Amino acid sequence: MAGEKIDIETIKAMLNLTDEDLVKPLPIPTKWSQPFWDAAREHKLVLKKCSKCGFIDHPPYLYCTNCTADEHEWVEASGKGTLAAYAINQFGVPFPFWVDLPYVVGLIDLEERIRMISNIVECDQEKLSNGMDLEVVFDDVTDEVTLPKWRPVDESMRG
Amino acid sequence: MGAGDFAVIGTGEVPTGNFPERSEFEIAYEVSRMAIQDAGIDKNEIGAVLTAGHIMNNPDNDYNTEMFFGRLPEAIGAHGTKVVATTISGGASSFSIRKTAEGILESGETDTVLVVHAQRFSQFTANEQAKYFSVAGSDVEWEVPYGMTYNSLAAIVTQGYMAYKGATIEQIAAVCVACREWACLQPNAMFNNKHITVDKVVNARMVSYPLTTLMCNVLGDGGSAYVMTTAEKAKKVCANPVYVLGDASQYSHRTITRAREKDPGKMGDELGVTAKLAYERAGLGPEDMDIFEIYGSYPVISLIVMDALGIHDPRTSGELVLAGETSPGGKFPVSTNGEAMSFGHTGTGVGFSTFVEGVRQLQGKAGEAQVPGAKFLIENCGGGAFMDCHFTVMGNEVA
Repeated sequence: MAGEKIDIETIKAMLNLTDEDLVKPLPIPTKWSQPFWDAAREHKLVLKKCSKCGFIDHPPYLYCTNCTADEHEWVEASGKGTLAAYAINQFGVPFPFWVDLPYVVGLIDLEERIRMISNIVECDQEKLSNGMDLEVVFDDVTDEVTLPKWRPVDESMRG
Repeated sequence: MGAGDFAVIGTGEVPTGNFPERSEFEIAYEVSRMAIQDAGIDKNEIGAVLTAGHIMNNPDNDYNTEMFFGRLPEAIGAHGTKVVATTISGGASSFSIRKTAEGILESGETDTVLVVHAQRFSQFTANEQAKYFSVAGSDVEWEVPYGMTYNSLAAIVTQGYMAYKGATIEQIAAVCVACREWACLQPNAMFNNKHITVDKVVNARMVSYPLTTLMCNVLGDGGSAYVMTTAEKAKKVCANPVYVLGDASQYSHRTITRAREKDPGKMGDELGVTAKLAYERAGLGPEDMDIFEIYGSYPVISLIVMDALGIHDPRTSGELVLAGETSPGGKFPVSTNGEAMSFGHTGTGVGFSTFVEGVRQLQGKAGEAQVPGAKFLIENCGGGAFMDCHFTVMGNEVA
């Protein structure tokens, strides 16, 4: 199912695009999510845990969505999860992502019982399966921003 | 308020498609006149004018602001207007606006409300549309940086539904075929002159595995309107009013990661609780329904909603669709205008076109797509990243 990689210069010429058209969107942290992205830069995956009721919120919000308390701590996640479901983008994505085609967007169940959407990287796309074990890796997409991504734990599943 | 207190007495609709020269104002004025004429009332009887807000509003041609500030009653000469309002909740707008209409009618300030939707996507470039729809269904901070799009969201749900429910890609494709069969009977549908097959849908260009291009809806320009009154007035002025018999709602999440039901194979069960409540409030059950006007937007959502509707048949939703039971002439007609997949996706308007088509069916005005003798139907809508779902049972008699 893998398509052919397209070279970025070919895309630019083909579609008459500027460099600006090809800038990928980056997360713009909020006051209450900034610690997540600060930790990601340090290659740590952290989650917002309520100090009163213990509920973990992801995405995090201003106060606990379970009990409305402000008090919280950022706890380091195990970095282990499983693949709930996935899609393999092959066409029709915003221009900045054309260079990555085909790429996997997965719905990941973390051990901490929260879910994330992220890319499944370093994988053989033919071998993806629901429930497969994943581990977090960190992609320094710019000097300022690091995106947590996930790869198969089983090395034979890696591409 | 009780079952059957409110009724729709007339509708209007323009063709959906690519019509860059037809402004959303022109659509709104035109469908308003059509709905008023169809209802057989005088325009000055209208006491409230409600419009659905745009998604992708153009600041240089600001439809939303004009509607907020009362352009429509002036433009159509609705001199009896007392209340204007805009309601928007994405794909759920057709429901939230109808509840607003019912509230105004219940207040007694007026007994006649005009409800309007208009959209013109073709004023935006393909990249503007792609950009907008990558953020509409996905979280800007947590998902969009990973190259997530609306199609990827639907693809993830489809992949999960197939894996956990055991549905096949042919069943997914069959939903698109059934939608197309209905659309081919609809003069206002965007894709009404070319039949497709399961093979063709499965083998079309892959967009976001497992979804091919023919499994993804296409944006179109369009609009529709209807006139809603109290049941008391409807009986006096209209030969074939369509009554709202019962409805029920649920909200789950903004981001798919926070969906209440974690298992994509069981999303239909979660929605089923709400569908059952709508049936109960109408005093009817799935066995009474002649039509299931489903707003799917993607084929997998049609199957999930079918799972929720309690259709009395041992076959799964996917098996029913593949056997042609939801197509024209089938036992369980579903989405008789072809919905977003083949009627065309008009933004907040998909729910409106589904609702308006349901009214036409129950008024016996559905032309070639008419389901003979249709008396009762259930319809649904929902918005965002499948954030909510609203079921409404309607009938041309009070059950």
